[in-house]
Amino acid sequence: MLDNYLPILVLVAIAFAFAAGSVVFSRLVGQKKPSVVKLAPYECGMPLFGTARDRFSIKFYIIAMLFIVFDIEVVFLYPWSVMFKRLGMFGFAEMGVFIVILFVGYVYVWKKGALEWE
Amino acid sequence: MATVLFYILSAIALTATLLCVTRRNPVHAIIYLVHAFFALALLFYVLGAPLVAAWEVIIYAGAIMVLFMFIIMMLELAPSQELQGLVWSRLLPVVLLSLTVLGATFAIIAFDPGGVDGIPVYFATPRDFGYTLFKEYALAVEVVSFQLLFAAVGGYYVGRTDKKKGGRK
Amino acid sequence: MNDILITLLIIIIKLGLIFAVVLTMAAYLVLAERKILARMQLRYGPNRVGPFGMFQPVADLIKMLTKEDVCPAGADKYLFLFAPGLAAVTALMSLAVVPFGPTIEIFGQQVPQVVCDLNIGVLYFLGLSSLAVYGIALGGWASNSKYALLASIRGLAQLISYELSMGLAVVPIIMAARSFSLTDIVMAQESLPFVLIYPETFLIFFVSVAAESKRIPFDLPEAENELVAGFHTEYSGMRFGLFFVGEYINMIILGSMTTIFFLGGWHGPLLPPIFWFLFKVLGVAFVFIWMRGTMPRFRYDQLMHFGWKVLMPIALLDVVVRGGFMVWSLGG
Repeated sequence: MLDNYLPILVLVAIAFAFAAGSVVFSRLVGQKKPSVVKLAPYECGMPLFGTARDRFSIKFYIIAMLFIVFDIEVVFLYPWSVMFKRLGMFGFAEMGVFIVILFVGYVYVWKKGALEWE
Repeated sequence: MATVLFYILSAIALTATLLCVTRRNPVHAIIYLVHAFFALALLFYVLGAPLVAAWEVIIYAGAIMVLFMFIIMMLELAPSQELQGLVWSRLLPVVLLSLTVLGATFAIIAFDPGGVDGIPVYFATPRDFGYTLFKEYALAVEVVSFQLLFAAVGGYYVGRTDKKKGGRK
Repeated sequence: MNDILITLLIIIIKLGLIFAVVLTMAAYLVLAERKILARMQLRYGPNRVGPFGMFQPVADLIKMLTKEDVCPAGADKYLFLFAPGLAAVTALMSLAVVPFGPTIEIFGQQVPQVVCDLNIGVLYFLGLSSLAVYGIALGGWASNSKYALLASIRGLAQLISYELSMGLAVVPIIMAARSFSLTDIVMAQESLPFVLIYPETFLIFFVSVAAESKRIPFDLPEAENELVAGFHTEYSGMRFGLFFVGEYINMIILGSMTTIFFLGGWHGPLLPPIFWFLFKVLGVAFVFIWMRGTMPRFRYDQLMHFGWKVLMPIALLDVVVRGGFMVWSLGG
C-alpha cells in the first residue's frame, strides 16, 4: 500500500518545493525597482493600444471540440490494446466498427471544411 | 491507510469544487475544477480503478477543461474584471444543491452505517476492465462511438462560420 | 516501523539522486544546445565562463535568481505566479514512472530503478502531458499581453492536435508489450527494440513528440519574430527560469519516453544499463537540437493541416493495420 502512493506523493512535494522555493528565493534576492513604464505590457516600445483581450477565431473552439471527441476515441483504444489477445477477432471487429463510425465523422468535418485554416 | 487517503482526497475534491463555484473569476474557477478532477482521479485510483483515474485526467482535466479555457478566453474578460451579479441569486442554487447532497449523504449514513466503514478491496486492473468492457458491453461501446460521431457533427455546426455573411476572422 | 523508515529512506535517496541528475542534465542541455547550434552556424558559442564555457549554466542560474521579478500591470497576479511553477511541476512529475534500469540489489534490498512502477504508467505520462497545456495557457492568459495571449492560444491548439497522434502511436506499442507499465514495455524489447519492428509508428510518435516539445520546426507558441517571446514574453527572472527549465526537463522526459517505447530502454550490450539509457536519451535530445539547427518553422495553417489531415489519419490507419495483423497472427 505504502509503496504504491508514497513515492509519487514525495515527488510531488519535492517538485512543488523546487518550484515555489526558486521563485521565493529569487524574490528575496532580486532587486525591486518597479516603474510605470517597466510594468506596462510589452508592445515593441510603442504606446499601448487596445486591450490584450481581443476575440479570436472560432476555429480554435472547433478544434478543441473535435479534440475531445477523438481523444475519447483514443482513450477507448487503450483498454482494448492491452487485452486484444483475449478479445480476439470479436474485439477487433468491435473496435473496427468503433473506429469506422468515428472515421465517418472525421471525413464529414473534413469535407465540411472544419479542418481548413486560411 | 486507504480509508484515511479516501477522506483526505474527498475533502480536497469537495473544497476545490466549492471554491470553483464561488469564484468570480472564471479562469480561477477552472483551476479549482481541474484540482477537483485531479482529486477525483486519485480517488478512483484509491478505490481500485486505475484506468478510470487515467481517463478522468486525460479526458476531463486534459480535454474538456481546455475547451472551457478557450471559451473563457473568448469572453474577452480582463484578468481584473469580474462577472457582475447579485450575491444571493448566485449563491442560492449552490446552497440548495449542497444542502440536498448533504441531506442525501446523512440519510445514507443513517440508514446504512456499515457502508461507510470499509472501502471495497476489489481492484479492477486495466486488463480486467478492458475485457469486461469490450466483451460484455460491446453494444455500449458502439453506442459511445455513435454519440461521439454526433458530437463531432454537432460541434462543427455550433462553431461553423457563415460563409455568405463573412465571419470575422 | 523499521521497514517503513527504510522504504522512505530509499525513496528519498532515489528521488534526490534523480532530481539532481535531471536538473543538472537540463541545465547542461541548454549549454549543449547553444554549443551545438553555434558549431552548426560556424560560431564558437558560450566560451567565456570557465573552460569551454562549462560554468555558463551556473552563471545563468545566478543571473536569473538575482533579476528583478516583474509582474506587468493588469496581469492576474496569482495565475501569473502559478503558471511557470505548473509548467515545471507537470514536467517533473512525469519522472515518477521513468524506469532507468532493471531492478538491482543493494544491501540485500531489491531496489527497482524507477520511482514508482505504476501499472498504468503509459496513461500517467499521457495524462500529465495533457495537463502540461495549462502552464502555457495560464501563463499567456494571465500576462495581459497581446503577444502572450496569441501565443498561448496557438500553443493550446497545437499541443492538443498533436496529442492525438501521440496517443495513437502508443497503441501498437501497448499491443506488443501487452501492458501499460513502462518497465514491462522495456522488458518486451529485450531482444529487439520496437523501432525495428514498428518503424512507421516510431516516425509518427517522434514527429508528435517534436510538436509536443514546442521546438523548431513546431515552435509556433514562441515564434520570436512574430510574437516576441511567445507565451513567456512578460516573464522575467526565476519565473522565466522555471518555464525554461520546465521546457528542457520536458525534452528529457520526451526523450526518455521515445527511448522506452521504441529504442529498447536500458537494453544494450557491454555497458551498464543506466549508461545505455542516458546515452539513448541524450541521443534523442541531440536529434532535437539538430532539427533546430536545420529546419525552418512551419506556417500555422501548415502545422494544423499536417497534424489533423496527415498525421492523425496515418496514425489511425497504423493502429488498425498493426492491430489487424497482430490479431490475425495470433490465430484470431
